[in-house]
Amino acid sequence: MSYKPDQNDWMAYLYGELEGAEKEKMEQYLLSDANARKELEQFQYLRKMMGAVEDKEVIAPPIVLGDNKQRFIWNTPAVRIISSIAASLLIIMLVGKFTDTQISMSGNEFKISFGEPKKIEATQSVTSTPLLSAEEVQNMINQSLNQNNIAMQTSWKETQQKLDASVRSNLASNSNKIDRLVKEASSASQDQIRQFVSTLQNENTEVVKNYFQLTASEQKKYIENLLVDFAKYLQQQRSDDLQLVQTQLKAIEQNTDIFKQETEQILSSIITTVNAAEVKETKY
Amino acid sequence: MAETLLDIAMMHSDTLIARAKQGDQNAQGKLVQLWYKRIYNFSYKFFMDHDLAMEVSQKTFISMCRSLAGLQDIARFKSWLYKIAVNYCREEARKKKGSRSLSFDVVWNREAEDSPQWESSSQRYANPESQYQQAELSDILQQALYELSDEQREVVIMKEYEGLKFREIAEVLNISENTVKSRMYYGLDGLKKILERKNITKDTIGYEL
Repeated sequence: MSYKPDQNDWMAYLYGELEGAEKEKMEQYLLSDANARKELEQFQYLRKMMGAVEDKEVIAPPIVLGDNKQRFIWNTPAVRIISSIAASLLIIMLVGKFTDTQISMSGNEFKISFGEPKKIEATQSVTSTPLLSAEEVQNMINQSLNQNNIAMQTSWKETQQKLDASVRSNLASNSNKIDRLVKEASSASQDQIRQFVSTLQNENTEVVKNYFQLTASEQKKYIENLLVDFAKYLQQQRSDDLQLVQTQLKAIEQNTDIFKQETEQILSSIITTVNAAEVKETKY
Repeated sequence: MAETLLDIAMMHSDTLIARAKQGDQNAQGKLVQLWYKRIYNFSYKFFMDHDLAMEVSQKTFISMCRSLAGLQDIARFKSWLYKIAVNYCREEARKKKGSRSLSFDVVWNREAEDSPQWESSSQRYANPESQYQQAELSDILQQALYELSDEQREVVIMKEYEGLKFREIAEVLNISENTVKSRMYYGLDGLKKILERKNITKDTIGYEL
């Protein structure tokens, strides 16, 4: 009874985690002590009973991992509003930069302008003009007008002269050409007409001659042909008539032959009948 | 406790853990599938409340996926995972402390409403009556467990139902092994007394156990 296990030994033994010498000691102690055995039994029964507690069935839901936490920060309304304001400000700034927008406040004026304000140059020119007086300006204008007029007139005159010259030269050349043409035409016409007429006459006479010659020969040929044809026709006609007469004669001959035969037959038949009648009569 | 395929898979998931540690989301998902039931049941026995158990489980696995890369020894994955779970359980328990009476109401209501879990119970028992009694006993025992102190309860659950070694529990709770054993001893002792008070002894439910 020197060994008495403590709680730790009990638990280790109960769950099979006691090993080696300590396990042996525990087993010997249990063998020697009935109360200890009973205690162990109680523990074991309790364990058995606790084992009746069943596991609950459960299906693991999908585990959504942490990225959505960051997304959550981005999706918070405050962040969204701030970022949208920042974005719109940026857009306004960019648009301002590109269109060169300038906004100014002076006195009662509020100005929005695109690009460099050009007013400053205008005012400068306005301030510089008063240095010249009205007369001077008038003089300058007159001077420039005069110069302009002179230049215009000179150029006008020059062009006029040029035009005249060209018109004259054109006219001269044209009239010369026309005259030459007319002269040529008039001088050439009489001889040409005569020639033309004579050639025409010659040609006509030749044509008429040829015509008559041609027609005369052709008429001869034609008449000859005609006469030959007529002769042939007459011969044909005669032979045809002859043939006709011959055939008619033959036909008449045949008819007479037939007639002869018929008469002979009739005669013979009469003879026979007469003979037969005579024989009969004699019989009676 | 007979080893199921799931248990075997859990015992041999070193490569899976290694892959999950390297950030393989598929492996992480499988790891969650593998351990979800254990962590859920641990939390359920701790709170006797489905919603709280689900919350703790989800938080545990989200935390697991995030900080798995920091796990130094793959062999210690189990105790590491339970450590996360225990921490979340304690956090939820602290939140609950202010409304402890309410939680008791919830507990009592749940017990009244809970129908025996026909679907979930395994078909080992051919006799429906004994199956029913088993389910009823399960609830009573769970209630008894719930009456233990938090410290004892977490040790008893981890030892009795989650099968952790005393060394592992010590690691999870960051206490000495002897302290774990002593808490276990008092936990079992406390259960014995609670069950006696509830008149649940060897004589009243001697059968079928």
